[in-house]
Amino acid sequence: MTVLVLTCEEDLTADMVVSTLHDLGVPLVRLDPADLPGSIALSADYTGDGFHGYLKTGERVVSLGSLRSVWVRRPGTPGTRAEERSTWLTAEAEQALYGMLTSTRARWMNHPAAAAQARYKPWQLHIAQRSGFTVPATLITTFPSVARQFAATHRDLVVKSVSGKHPGDPPMVLPTTRISPDADFSAVAAGPTLLQQHVSKQADIRLTCVDGHLFAARKEADPDEVDSRFTENSSWKPAEVPDRVRRSVAAYMTSTQLAYGAFDFAEDRDGTWWFLECNQGGQFGFIQLDTDQPIAQAIAAWLAADPLTCHSWPAV
Amino acid sequence: MRPFALSYARPAVKSSAATPYTYDATRQLNVLPDGRPATSSRAVLLATGTTASTAGSKTHFDD
Repeated sequence: MTVLVLTCEEDLTADMVVSTLHDLGVPLVRLDPADLPGSIALSADYTGDGFHGYLKTGERVVSLGSLRSVWVRRPGTPGTRAEERSTWLTAEAEQALYGMLTSTRARWMNHPAAAAQARYKPWQLHIAQRSGFTVPATLITTFPSVARQFAATHRDLVVKSVSGKHPGDPPMVLPTTRISPDADFSAVAAGPTLLQQHVSKQADIRLTCVDGHLFAARKEADPDEVDSRFTENSSWKPAEVPDRVRRSVAAYMTSTQLAYGAFDFAEDRDGTWWFLECNQGGQFGFIQLDTDQPIAQAIAAWLAADPLTCHSWPAV
Repeated sequence: MRPFALSYARPAVKSSAATPYTYDATRQLNVLPDGRPATSSRAVLLATGTTASTAGSKTHFDD
């Protein structure tokens, strides 16, 4: 049976997993949905009581019935490399490809429906609270007066993007940024704004969860930068996962139906891990490079497992 | 009116690192000019930054 990897060609992180699958002798097909239609072709028939289909990329053909797993890494948007691109063509290609793939018995990392839901950061906070994580006080609002009240109550605040996306035109980045409680909040009315209690941290934690396997890494905090993605002051080192966090991660992953998640925490001076977010498609290569934790190998093993293997969580 | 959060946006720093690898469709992974897998070179992985959680290309950002 075959592993299907959906990602762009230049994705070196995917290469780390593909190499391991090669070493394991597991058949795989790697393709970028942006090439549909074009170098990717597909067909499926729903006749009688069955469903049969296949995908073709280059010289490779894979039967949909032979897929053991699908890894959604960094796929391009279907139709975007077609000769005559259009929103309509993208919708057609997306519906055909993902509709067919979700009809199979293949296991997903992560299933598109679970991934779409898990991208909502407000929902992440909700599930994190329910899962027993320590979550910083957070406000999402378009009311300037409510923002002012929140700032007066919590004083030490950060602002961050609700969607996690950076402004694109012109290319800008929007790091999580500390703000003054006396800021002018009138512009909150111009767009939903996420304000959060600033956690005075001594370290950043990235916990990568591959099914039931946890890989935690810790990096000393940079006193001059809140957002660890924009710091290079120190490297990541392996960390032990507190039992309480381990239980919360299990609850979170079960609630969200995710097979993979990359959690970000701020570790305060008491050693408490504060939940910041869980990125269902978070990068892991930079952690593996620094810590030698075998994350790519864990992903490859999950993808290579029997299609009927259930998610398994070790007892904690 | 400009949304509040955008007051804190910064210009993106474009990565100047060249990518010394090309995609090999037969092997389904990227290779160096000498044919070795690109992931076999720690220096390449670090220099291109394509595995990091932030930087400048579509493979850099967390999802």
